[in-house]
Amino acid sequence: MIGFLSPFILLGLLALPLLWWMLRAVPPAPSRRRFPGVRLLLGLKDPESIPDHTPWWLLLLRLTALAAAIVAFAQPVLNPRAQVAGSGRLLVLLDGGWASAPDWRLRLSRVEGIIASANRPVALRLLTAPLPAEGDLGFTAAQDLAPIIQSLSPAPYAPDRDAFAAWLSENPQEPFETLWLSDGIGDAASLASALKAHGKVTLITGLSPAVSLLPARIEAEMLITPVHRVDTRAAQTIPLIAIGPAPDGIEQVLWRTEASFEVGESDANAPFDMPFELRNRIRRIALAEGGSAGGVVLADSGLIRRKVALYTASDSQEGPQLVDPLFYLKKALEPSSQVIRGTLDELLLAVPDVLVLADVATLSEEETKRVLAWVEEGGTLLRFAGPRLAAASRDLGITDPLLPVRLRAGGRQLGGAMTWDTPKRLRPFTDESPFAGLQAPEEVEISAQVLAQPGPDLVGKVMASLEDGTPLVTSARMGQGRIVLFHITANAEWSNLPLSGLFVDMLTRLSVSARNGAASADELVGQNWLLTRALDGFGNLVDASPSTAISGDTLTSGPRDAASPPGYYQSNEREVAINLIHEDALPYALKGLPLGIAHEGFAAQPETPLKPFFLLAAFMLLTVDIFASLFISGRLTGGAQAALVLLLLVPSPQAKAQDERALLAADNTVLAYVLTGDTRTDEISRAGLYGLSRTLFERTSIEPVDPISIDIERDDISLIPFLYWPISDQQAPLSPLAVSKINRYLRNGGMIMFDTKDAHLGAGSIHGAALQRLTAQLEIPPLAPIEPDHVLTRSFYLLEVFPGRWAKGQLWVEAPSSLTTIEGAPFRNLNDGVTPVVIGSNDFASAWAINPQGRPMYPVGSGARGERQRELAKRFGVNLIMYVMTGNYKSDQVHVPALLERLGQ
Amino acid sequence: MSQTAQSLRAEAQALSGALPPLLADAERLASNVAMGAHGRRRAGSGESFWQYRHAMPGDNLASIDWRRSAQGDALFIREREWEASQTVGFWVDPSKAMDYQSAKFVPKSTRAKVLALACASLLSRAGERVSLLDTAAVRPGFGQAKLHQMAIALAGLSRSEDYGILPLPHGARGGHRLFFSDFMGAESDIFPALHAHAEAGNDGALIHILDPSEETFPYDGRIIFESMGGAIDFETRRAKALREAYQERLDERSVMLKDWAHRAGWHYLRHTTQENPQAALLWLFSALGVKR
Repeated sequence: MIGFLSPFILLGLLALPLLWWMLRAVPPAPSRRRFPGVRLLLGLKDPESIPDHTPWWLLLLRLTALAAAIVAFAQPVLNPRAQVAGSGRLLVLLDGGWASAPDWRLRLSRVEGIIASANRPVALRLLTAPLPAEGDLGFTAAQDLAPIIQSLSPAPYAPDRDAFAAWLSENPQEPFETLWLSDGIGDAASLASALKAHGKVTLITGLSPAVSLLPARIEAEMLITPVHRVDTRAAQTIPLIAIGPAPDGIEQVLWRTEASFEVGESDANAPFDMPFELRNRIRRIALAEGGSAGGVVLADSGLIRRKVALYTASDSQEGPQLVDPLFYLKKALEPSSQVIRGTLDELLLAVPDVLVLADVATLSEEETKRVLAWVEEGGTLLRFAGPRLAAASRDLGITDPLLPVRLRAGGRQLGGAMTWDTPKRLRPFTDESPFAGLQAPEEVEISAQVLAQPGPDLVGKVMASLEDGTPLVTSARMGQGRIVLFHITANAEWSNLPLSGLFVDMLTRLSVSARNGAASADELVGQNWLLTRALDGFGNLVDASPSTAISGDTLTSGPRDAASPPGYYQSNEREVAINLIHEDALPYALKGLPLGIAHEGFAAQPETPLKPFFLLAAFMLLTVDIFASLFISGRLTGGAQAALVLLLLVPSPQAKAQDERALLAADNTVLAYVLTGDTRTDEISRAGLYGLSRTLFERTSIEPVDPISIDIERDDISLIPFLYWPISDQQAPLSPLAVSKINRYLRNGGMIMFDTKDAHLGAGSIHGAALQRLTAQLEIPPLAPIEPDHVLTRSFYLLEVFPGRWAKGQLWVEAPSSLTTIEGAPFRNLNDGVTPVVIGSNDFASAWAINPQGRPMYPVGSGARGERQRELAKRFGVNLIMYVMTGNYKSDQVHVPALLERLGQ
Repeated sequence: MSQTAQSLRAEAQALSGALPPLLADAERLASNVAMGAHGRRRAGSGESFWQYRHAMPGDNLASIDWRRSAQGDALFIREREWEASQTVGFWVDPSKAMDYQSAKFVPKSTRAKVLALACASLLSRAGERVSLLDTAAVRPGFGQAKLHQMAIALAGLSRSEDYGILPLPHGARGGHRLFFSDFMGAESDIFPALHAHAEAGNDGALIHILDPSEETFPYDGRIIFESMGGAIDFETRRAKALREAYQERLDERSVMLKDWAHRAGWHYLRHTTQENPQAALLWLFSALGVKR
């Protein structure tokens, strides 16, 4: 949409036809030229009839130029904003919810524009902010609001429009005009009519309402994330990323996928078809672009598939399946976990998350020790009682270290033919129990159990008990893991608990099983939850400030609000992720707007004045006109033609030579340097590596071709053995993709040499800081100043110092891991300790640099000593590349005497 | 474009330094007598012996060679070879048309002056007498002083006419005449004067100096051409269309001059300022020395 600030100037366009007529009538002015040969020309006649008016295309050119100039001075504007004209009070209302987050910057700049141009009392309100206490909206001078605009941020929940509408009706206001920057979703009926009652309302909405993610679930071994969108007008593909910790604990993008929408579709599923182990590491799933709280799904144990090992002593397949001690467990766990079975040895080797021992009385001492060690490292041992355990306890009164409580000899039978008692029901779970909130069905009855030995610490270990208070489930912490004992069998022999749904819920609570998808209401109610980490409006996780506990009812009922924002909540060591969007309350397009509300598109593009472009066009047309006129009058000769050709020559973008580059790197040995964005530094790097390549060619069997430059963001570095990376403060920060690329490169044997070029690696230096910034995300091992016996000192030349253009800088390499002296060879054992990075500060490239004639380009030191230093620098370069190529081979060499000696025997 | 006398002379000297001294052809220049460097192979005033002849009535008594006469009865008169240097008169067109230059080439006048002075320098070294017609340096002479005088006269050479008018011969007859001009003027300004020079028994050469643009006529479009003084102008709508006609006329003038020179036994050279002046000087060398 184009508007004009001074439209009346466009009337000038009416004059163009007149101009046309005038220009047509006037022939091009002749040029006067002194020429002695004129006498010979006298009497000659022009042989052809020449048109004596300007050719039409030249006229058109001139008229277009003039029209462009006229349009330019009418000040055209692309995406013009409504002028905040008018007087009286103005309320600027922002929805401020999560759906505003993707274009929050634009909204704020829009608000800034409004406030800057409003010359009247203005009030600024976020619908997500607490309601004003006093009966006034706080209208104030516009300039007072300007400083606070940039500090506004969206809330991770939806705006409460009805509350503000109610407040307006309770607190009568003087008339005011409203500019409402809405996020385009939700019900706006009550607020819109309330605002309309006070004055003119202009609704400004974004280009398209936000896209939201629904809690992920697992289907057919695939992680499915439902994606919901409000604007269904166009087909769309929305990229998603899954984020989780890498093995080193640093969060990174684990997987990418996308959700495809057809026209008219509002829901789509984004599948994450990723390996099991990787999937278990997912911490959250987010939209790759346009982040908001609604565009993030936090993952909790619901997405984790645990590896559960089932083991029973009577592992016979001969008996009827239904009395198999593990049958019900298997049924309960299989949908949601990876269940493995086998001998105890095999199971422990598989490092399961949970080990279930169903009715196993005794383990060998060795097995006990191993299981114990596994539990202490964080395993969950889940034991079920049974006839064997009961028999063992009767015999021994055991104090098995793998039981949470001591058992009394024998168990008890309830409601059997020989007893007076009736089968017992469950006592409601206490608040401290991890099962708190679960409802025990009436029909669950326990008819036999093993009994815990009463003791002072028994109470703390009980997780569930029967009506009469006898413990049913007990647990004990052990190291980082825990041991849980169900005092009943895992099959229906002693009770019908395994037959009930409660059994599955209990397993879930014990983190043995996992629910699929979001935490259900049953899981949350009845407990108090403490917010640990919260989502902000942009979808970033922030540590929550200490807050009061929130009851699970609040979390399950009603939408998220300021009191219960989405995030991670904790209760009794259990953590659940509460997400913003629930499938029962999907976002929908703004509705309920009364008539008579001005609606304005919220242009994604900011207002763009087009005047410069039109002026430029006019200018260029006139330039063309100059040449055209010259051409017409025959004065376009020689140099002028060349200039025209130069003007017309559009520099063609250089074709990318990625493939050639890769081929070059694959077919040859090639050194590479990283482009820093600083032309001078890059040139030095190139010349330096060129010099080093020549030196290598002359002195060693490494025969590199000319060095290549690497754009670290775009180019493939996997084929480059050595990267020289001078540090420049102009280096752009690395993108996540580049970081992962470099990390992969370093892991797989690449070497990067960072050179700060400032001769000292102090924390204070600019380049040092730049280096720290740059390498913050890279997987760089612990570094140490180079040892005098490092392989670098003898990989080709024997060196003691490593000078470049400067001599004093310290060289840092990976810290040695072990220090072994070998008989007869006082060398460090550095096998496989090839450092992935070398960090120096001596400006090596400048010392190596030679020009195409082979002469050094930069002075090093002074006089003969300087040349000696340059020679040493070259030797260091040779050593370095040798080290890159041969690794710790020279370190191995020191074993040769020992090896020879052994061979001799 | 007027140059200082010094620079003009230095340039001319540099140009002429590369050629061997030029001996002008003395044979044809019989009448303009002056003591010079070489004999004219005929009796006349001079120092070296030429022939004895019988005394005739009317011979001066003092001219009788008594030693030869004493050997016999007849009276002999000892004749000496006529030794005289010839006079080479230069004329450099002083008109404004000669000041024309195009692009990077030197003005025609500069080229003409340099060539004239270089030639004069060569001749002077060979002992010939040189003069600059139509200027203060019209008196024949030789030596550095004369050259210097000529250089000054050339440097100050500038007239207000659009086209050069060839001077008529006066005074001394015979000798060489070198005319440096673009010969763009009216035929009436050129040929009568040439005829007069030829009739005066002068030998000579016409050096037709042109600017490259005057040969190629690289113009197009609507142009008003003016003579250098502005006296004549001509407008064309499309200059390019006139090129061939113009070149035809130029060639016609050129041929006319060449034919005239051929008939009169003169020489004709068409020279453009983009050519090497050395070549033109070599040509002059051969033109003046060919009949020796």
